[in-house]
Amino acid sequence: MNGDEPDGGEPILAVDDIHVGYQHGIDILQGLSLAVRSDRLTLVIGPNGAGKSTLLKSVFGLLQPHRGTIRFGGERIDGLQPYAIKRCGIAYVTQEINIFPQLSVAENLQMGGWLFRRDKGRLGRRMDWAYTTFPALAERRRARAGELSGGQGRMLSLAREMMTEPSLILVDEPTAGLAPNLVAQTYELLLAACASVGASILLVDQNIEDAVQHADYIYMVNLGRLKAEGPRTEFGPARVAELVQECLLG
Amino acid sequence: MIFTWQLFAQTVIAGVSIGVLYALMALGITFIYSIVRMINWAMGEFYMIGSYLQYLLVVYLFGPGLWYVALPLSALAVFLIGTVIEPILIKPMFGAAIERKDDYATVVTIALLLLLRNLATGLAGPYQRTPGSNLPTIMLGPLPQSGARFAAFVCGLAAIALFYLLLKKTWFGMALRAAAQSRLGVQTAGVDVLRLDQAAFGIGVALAGIAGALLAPVFFVFPTDGIVTTVKGFEIIVIGGLGSIPGALVGGILLGLVESLGAAFISSPYQNVYGFLLVLLILVIRPSGLFGERARLA
Repeated sequence: MNGDEPDGGEPILAVDDIHVGYQHGIDILQGLSLAVRSDRLTLVIGPNGAGKSTLLKSVFGLLQPHRGTIRFGGERIDGLQPYAIKRCGIAYVTQEINIFPQLSVAENLQMGGWLFRRDKGRLGRRMDWAYTTFPALAERRRARAGELSGGQGRMLSLAREMMTEPSLILVDEPTAGLAPNLVAQTYELLLAACASVGASILLVDQNIEDAVQHADYIYMVNLGRLKAEGPRTEFGPARVAELVQECLLG
Repeated sequence: MIFTWQLFAQTVIAGVSIGVLYALMALGITFIYSIVRMINWAMGEFYMIGSYLQYLLVVYLFGPGLWYVALPLSALAVFLIGTVIEPILIKPMFGAAIERKDDYATVVTIALLLLLRNLATGLAGPYQRTPGSNLPTIMLGPLPQSGARFAAFVCGLAAIALFYLLLKKTWFGMALRAAAQSRLGVQTAGVDVLRLDQAAFGIGVALAGIAGALLAPVFFVFPTDGIVTTVKGFEIIVIGGLGSIPGALVGGILLGLVESLGAAFISSPYQNVYGFLLVLLILVIRPSGLFGERARLA
């Protein structure tokens, strides 16, 4: 199998042979390479501890690769601080609910617009967008974010990251810990929100069966290395079942 | 000791007014802890720098009549010194954005404490100095109050009010409050969290510098003049709860009250003991402090 794609072109994000670890001498990612093309959902699957979250943290600058490069729109972004990467047009939806519990819902969204805080018009438009896209947040705009339900908290995390209209959004396990009946709804919300700002998605997920349905291109990683890749058509039900089994066994 | 309502009122006023200045120290400690996640043990040395700067400006430049011109300059200078020291000494301790060696940073502030204290002794000698004050004694009703003390109280309150407005009414303040709740959150929002640390450290030590500058004419100015107020600052943190701004205010006033009431009506040589008894009491009934855990930077 090779990485060629029918409608190739320059990838928006190109991760090339990165080595990343939390401690000196222990690399979680051991030479991982992958590409995200625009207007697509690129999915990374793999078992626990495969390095999926580490990948997203590295792209967002929370961890620095000590080898390899990360390019976004052709420019190198490895070594940049998270705020600089955010400014490039990348957003990061973390696995845990990422809100400021003591701030109001409105203040949380304003913080999402930090980068254009002096542009009142744009800030207002984006706040309106957030309230229209997530009506549940509009009703509770004056409430403290810590008082929201878990589902609303996730909505707020997502809405806050969408404030800047990123061109690439990194999403870590959006359905982890959700009740099964909420899973489909969560993916739909995520896809709709990203589509409305025209963002490409790099999704990391353990919920393989559901996530594969929405993906355009799929990478499978294990132990910090790439194990398989291909367009969704190559990941039919039989292969997915096989991968799930492989992931469970590690 | 004979109880009179007049003495009681005077003591309460004295307690509240010194409590506000203690609260400034506690606010600085709590604020730096909330953002940078580190206890700054050198707080008293920034108080000391503030007191020396005020002394120098008043004695050599402005004269006691223009103390209020010297005050913001002293505060600004301490702020700038803080923002210069933070990236050199504190920031490298935190290394990569995720691996944070908070304990090292705390130890570094202890080294900084020794450095600054000895630097002051070397430069200014061990002498006790005073910038003096020509503020007249103020009568609150029938009760006389020392002018310098009253001015320190009013300016301390004003500094706290300014600090509060900065936190509540500005974008920068919102980012600070947000950072206290989630560092990752402000990073994903696109805030330069290292710059925020630098600014927070500067503001925190400036609060101590203001306290030092305001108390320069009230107490003496000498290389270790920040010790007592710093100890009070930490007592207040225990009383009010670490990371809580209302806790710092209420704790400061409570400590000031307990100390001055104890000194007036029980026995004055034991003034510092009453504060520690209050600390012990709080530790027994509410170990997290009056406002601990529940409220933070709000």
